[in-house]
Amino acid sequence: MKLRTSPALVLLAAAVLAMTSACSPGSGSGGGGDPKAFEFWSFSGIDQKRDVDAYRQLHPDIQVKLTEVGSTTETAQALTTALAGGKVPDLVLIQGDDLPKFVQQPQNFQDLRTLGADQIKGDYLDWVMKQAEAKDGQIIGVPTDVGGLGVAYRADLFAAAGLPADRESVSKLWSTWDGFIETGKRYTAATGKPFVDNIPTSVFFQAVNQVSQKYYDDAGNPIYDRNPEVKAAFDLALKALDANISAKQSFGKEGWNAALPRGDFAVVSAPSWLLGQIRRGAPDTAGKWDVATIPGGAGNWGGSYLAIPARAQNPAAAWAYIKEMQSPQRQLEHFLEVGALPTTPSVYTDPRLTGKADPFFSGAPTGKIYTEAVLGLKPFRMGPDTGAIGQEFLNALVNVEQGSGNPATAWDDAVRNIRTAIGK
Amino acid sequence: MTATLPTRPTPTRISRGAARVLIPLRERIAPYAYIAPFFLLFGVFGLAPFLFTFYIALFDWNPIGDQTFIGLDNFTRMLADARFWNATANTISIWLLSTVPQLLVALLLAHVLNRARLRFALFFRMSILVPYITSVAATAIVFAQLFDRDYGLLNWLLGLVGVGSIDFAQTVWGSHVMLAVMVAWRWFGYTTLLYLASLQAIPRDIYEAAAIDGAGGWAQFRHITIPSLRPVIIFTVVTSTIGGLQIFTEPLLLSRTNNITCGPVRQCQTLTLFLYEQGFGQYEFGYGAAIGVALFVMIVVVAAVNYLLSSRIRGEVP
Repeated sequence: MKLRTSPALVLLAAAVLAMTSACSPGSGSGGGGDPKAFEFWSFSGIDQKRDVDAYRQLHPDIQVKLTEVGSTTETAQALTTALAGGKVPDLVLIQGDDLPKFVQQPQNFQDLRTLGADQIKGDYLDWVMKQAEAKDGQIIGVPTDVGGLGVAYRADLFAAAGLPADRESVSKLWSTWDGFIETGKRYTAATGKPFVDNIPTSVFFQAVNQVSQKYYDDAGNPIYDRNPEVKAAFDLALKALDANISAKQSFGKEGWNAALPRGDFAVVSAPSWLLGQIRRGAPDTAGKWDVATIPGGAGNWGGSYLAIPARAQNPAAAWAYIKEMQSPQRQLEHFLEVGALPTTPSVYTDPRLTGKADPFFSGAPTGKIYTEAVLGLKPFRMGPDTGAIGQEFLNALVNVEQGSGNPATAWDDAVRNIRTAIGK
Repeated sequence: MTATLPTRPTPTRISRGAARVLIPLRERIAPYAYIAPFFLLFGVFGLAPFLFTFYIALFDWNPIGDQTFIGLDNFTRMLADARFWNATANTISIWLLSTVPQLLVALLLAHVLNRARLRFALFFRMSILVPYITSVAATAIVFAQLFDRDYGLLNWLLGLVGVGSIDFAQTVWGSHVMLAVMVAWRWFGYTTLLYLASLQAIPRDIYEAAAIDGAGGWAQFRHITIPSLRPVIIFTVVTSTIGGLQIFTEPLLLSRTNNITCGPVRQCQTLTLFLYEQGFGQYEFGYGAAIGVALFVMIVVVAAVNYLLSSRIRGEVP
């Protein structure tokens, strides 16, 4: 009998051991680390290494340990796990779409106001700053860049279709979304080919950001199902779908990548970070593209924030880094080096920014076009389920676009799916 | 049992006590030390998370926020959630579509490969294992391109014979077939080798005797091959069922820009992918854990049915 019980005891002991190790709250609270060193988690493909290298040169005594965790989502997941009970970094880069989840739980982060964020807050676009503010006014992050919006289009294909091809005339053609749809109809009628890559991301996702309130009201209550501005954007997308001008290629998927260099769509809503992707994805089309302003005049897609976890070992060093590397001048230099759009409007009139022309896009002044797009946006409140709500609206429209969904019931379907997803 | 053991001298009271003392403590605990690494690792990475899953399934559990005890609310919500039943139906459909053809093809292939007349047999036996050792991610990406609506090889071939382009990823059946092909492609070589190994254990003279008695190829297959393979067939059915209920990587890779729903109407979202979406996409750990518990119950039920069926079949083996 003794021998029988012992393995069970061993097993139990192992289980208890495992449970305690799984539930241990991780290392202690802030402070206590080496004040000359801090750890920085970023995602890959955003070139933070360049900033870190510059900072190391300026401050040879500070040790910055930069880790590129993975994609934006993977970085947010790693951060969530770390916050739930593990070793947290001193500084972390969070992509805008992932931010609301963290803003909802501000106790996990340092209140940057205590470190001096109040003094520099005014340097940044108000609607960008607002998204990093928690209910009680706590500031969680400082923006590093925004994804201002333009429309990339194939000037050569426009000319062949008998449409005006220079960016001023094209911008005038689609000063409104209705003008965009009309231009699409003309293009498709003349060429027999699809006009835009897809409606859900190129039209709905952009139009639904040109609002004063989106899925939540200013008090934080969900209003996605009764906000006329959201409904108008959705109906606009249905109208665009009805016009039959879409190549129906899901953004960034295999088909989209294959269609891009072939000119199988002539137009795509292009945030500033997409320009590099177009350049790499269709190198043979250099000089054939151009960038016009977005219908409705303003838009943003993407952008990131730097935050400091509450349990960071060395918040002071992390803050010193934020303050120095995200100053208006540094953001301008970062833009000139890698093209990420500054969040600091004071540099938007700098001749080095307005004078930057992109030869791949027929010499379009991308700095000027994109900064104008982010100046026109108004702040609106994001909520914990902003991402999930947007995804369900998008899914309903994709379903119509791909021919399986009924446009007459699409709105009701989307609202019902959102209720299931978020439970309110 | 006892007959095989060496007979022990019946110890007296004193000598028994002495024997106990004589075995050093070190030797008495040594066996536990040897097996401890496995049990410790299993405890940390297997048992503890497993038990913990049952625990957090009873909570509204935000990993970085509040954790509120809500009893069985996650389960009642799950049973009323159309997305859960959709994922269940998808899982079963993809499992059936991948497993049944896969096992049949593997059986036939093993039979063919087992024939002595086949030349370069080793080459063929080795090459069927190549899909199994290919990375799942690579397989999924290549298949996604093959099945693409506008630029895929398959639709190009269909176009040659005048069939319009089919949007596999968008329709329910198309996406299920696509995933089933990926799964079957990956596993058929492994299953074939298992069958082949058992086939080679069947004595040749049984086939020769059957041939002398006038049994043709099909009769031999039907009356010798299949009965001899019964145990391994049962084994492959059980493992592919458990694997089939957990199909994850393929639908995840197919949906990498669709917010892990595998299509706009979740047409190919499997249970594990739904679990992942809730747990790590929405950070609803409690609800995700409840889905995990449901999946566990399903696997236990399927395993029990399999066990009953297989013990009945085993009883029928002549």
